[in-house]
Amino acid sequence: MSSSGEAAAPRSGGWLTLRRRKSLLPLALVIPGLLWLILFYAIPIVSQLWISLQTGNPDDGFAQTWNWAIYGDSISEYSEQMLRSLQYAGTATIACLIIGFPLAYFMAFKAGRWRNLFLLLVILPFFTSLIVRTVAWQTILTDDSWITNALKTVGLLPQDGRLLATSFAVIAGITYNFLPFMVLPLYASLERMDRTLVEAATDLYASRWTAFRKITLPLAGPGIFAGVLLTFIPAIGDYINAQLLGTSQQYMIGNVIQSQYLVVREYPTAAALSFIMMVVVLIIIAAAARLIGTKKLSEAAVA
Amino acid sequence: MPDESLDHFFDRLVSGEPISRRSVLRRMAASGIAVGSASAFLAACGGVEGSSSNKEEVDTSNVNHPKAPIGTLVFSNWPLYIDEKVIPGWEKANDAKMRYLEDYNDNEEFYAKVRQELEQGQGIGRDLVAPTDWMAGRWIDQGYAIPIDKKNVPNAKNLLPSLQNPPFDKNRDFTLPWQSGITGIGYDPTKTGRKLNSINDLFDPAFKGRVSMFSEWRDSAGLVMLGQGVDSSKATKAQCSAAIEKINEENEKGQIRRFTGNDYTKDLAAGNLWACVAWSGDLVQLKADNPNLEFLVPDDGGMSWSDNMLIPQGAKTPYGAETFMNYVYDPVAAGVIAEYVNYFCPVDGVQELVAKKNPELAKNQLIFPDQATLDKLYSYPSLSAADERELTAQMQKVTGA
Repeated sequence: MSSSGEAAAPRSGGWLTLRRRKSLLPLALVIPGLLWLILFYAIPIVSQLWISLQTGNPDDGFAQTWNWAIYGDSISEYSEQMLRSLQYAGTATIACLIIGFPLAYFMAFKAGRWRNLFLLLVILPFFTSLIVRTVAWQTILTDDSWITNALKTVGLLPQDGRLLATSFAVIAGITYNFLPFMVLPLYASLERMDRTLVEAATDLYASRWTAFRKITLPLAGPGIFAGVLLTFIPAIGDYINAQLLGTSQQYMIGNVIQSQYLVVREYPTAAALSFIMMVVVLIIIAAAARLIGTKKLSEAAVA
Repeated sequence: MPDESLDHFFDRLVSGEPISRRSVLRRMAASGIAVGSASAFLAACGGVEGSSSNKEEVDTSNVNHPKAPIGTLVFSNWPLYIDEKVIPGWEKANDAKMRYLEDYNDNEEFYAKVRQELEQGQGIGRDLVAPTDWMAGRWIDQGYAIPIDKKNVPNAKNLLPSLQNPPFDKNRDFTLPWQSGITGIGYDPTKTGRKLNSINDLFDPAFKGRVSMFSEWRDSAGLVMLGQGVDSSKATKAQCSAAIEKINEENEKGQIRRFTGNDYTKDLAAGNLWACVAWSGDLVQLKADNPNLEFLVPDDGGMSWSDNMLIPQGAKTPYGAETFMNYVYDPVAAGVIAEYVNYFCPVDGVQELVAKKNPELAKNQLIFPDQATLDKLYSYPSLSAADERELTAQMQKVTGA
């Protein structure tokens, strides 16, 4: 140990040598984040698991009975709504990708000085509440609206058909509400792409389509992945679109959890269902990360 | 709820007219359901410890709330349920302030929000709340209500006789009705093509997919029971359960378009619904915009209910709450509220007062029902807490959640 290190020690208050301080610093830096995670992530999850294993009723109270059977029961009871959630969220995510990719591409490469205006237009819906926007769709899709009548006239909708209160309306609502979450990461990854790579590819006799497939698409990969995650995960738990644009035949798992918590007051079932959904989502993310590679996943996170 | 007002704002944008009681529908629940839920959801995520310890008979024979400075009285009521003009009158007379909150959007939801505090024996930061009959019953049974010192509410003598002895609070020791209403059928005769007269008309195959019911079983199953010739106020659990099963059958046939909360008003006004289970006050207001709409108290009967003023446990000023009850049971103040709200007024003597200013309104059967209408009204079934829970769960299954 050099003499300068020895000299520093008494000034900083005895036991806290420089070396010790150096080893404590990273720990000190991680503590706020760690506390945050423990307080707002670990404790709620443990508490949720704890509640899910209780039995009883809301008027006389619940007691811990380690009722693991509730997980099997909840899955068999509400498998319909769970599968529907995955199906609706999946369909809406694909629709978002199909609508969002050309839009992001246009904004990144073709919009020129209008780019900021388009960005603003994409973000603009966030200035109004989600519910107001969804209620607006109720008004747009009513049975007597011009859209419904036009579709009936051209024969796309049967004469006694309707748009509102159907699966179509719910999926369209989810697509509409989550589109910005898809467009923004796509735009971010396309925008920082090096365009000279595409030029090089075409110089080397790649067709425009091949250049797009071999250069643009892989480079947009992290953005696509981030967009898909940001759309799919919250869409699974969404219950507002099903509530406002659907019927009881369109209810998703979020509607069930909401009703179990607030109407039926079966807290264990609600907790179990939330827990199951969380595990399902984690499995899907893990599988996707496997498929795409963790390196890309962390790139996506940075994007 | 910030989104409550946003929704009103949106309504105003769509209809292109300034906000008035005619253009804004009471209890725009679409927002209520969704936004209120989020906060209640968080509240409900906490613990779920037992609450049975609270259950003890409260002595109502000797309640004494002496006169004391009131300070600020906090009242949580349903949205658009008062003409705020009446509040300053009370404030002046009692040298007090009122914080009037419109955050009571849904019975179960409000209960879920405050349940934890109540279970721990704490106050909920309110001096008055407005639960509907069955929910008021739950608060009373759980010991979450403070009995009323009747000496402070002499005007309670103006309560309509038909409302004086409800099953959940036999002597009105804990509650006084704020407003009452009828659950019947709202419909558009130009769409249905005929006049309706029975609840069973909702199940006419010609209206397939154009009918809605409430997702809450008490009103929906109550009406269906009346249609089956069962007196809803004396119904057994099995009879309620059979009525819910009937609703399930109709739903599976596609007869019922949606199960709704207050948001049926939007669908009815837009023409998406031709006939639906509806609340009288909503229809009075909807009719102002669309005169085609009719409210029907079916020949088989309609449900009657009240939203009740109740002093929750831990209230800072029960005396203040009682002075306010007394104030709104004065026919003059009650008349101002009745003219604004359009539900049926629980206070005797208001009809005569309103008749002088607004004879049309005084003749409205939905605000001042005559004996013939009153005879057709039935109250909710009174069942044990366990039975009610089972029926709630059964109905939630039917409605898809």
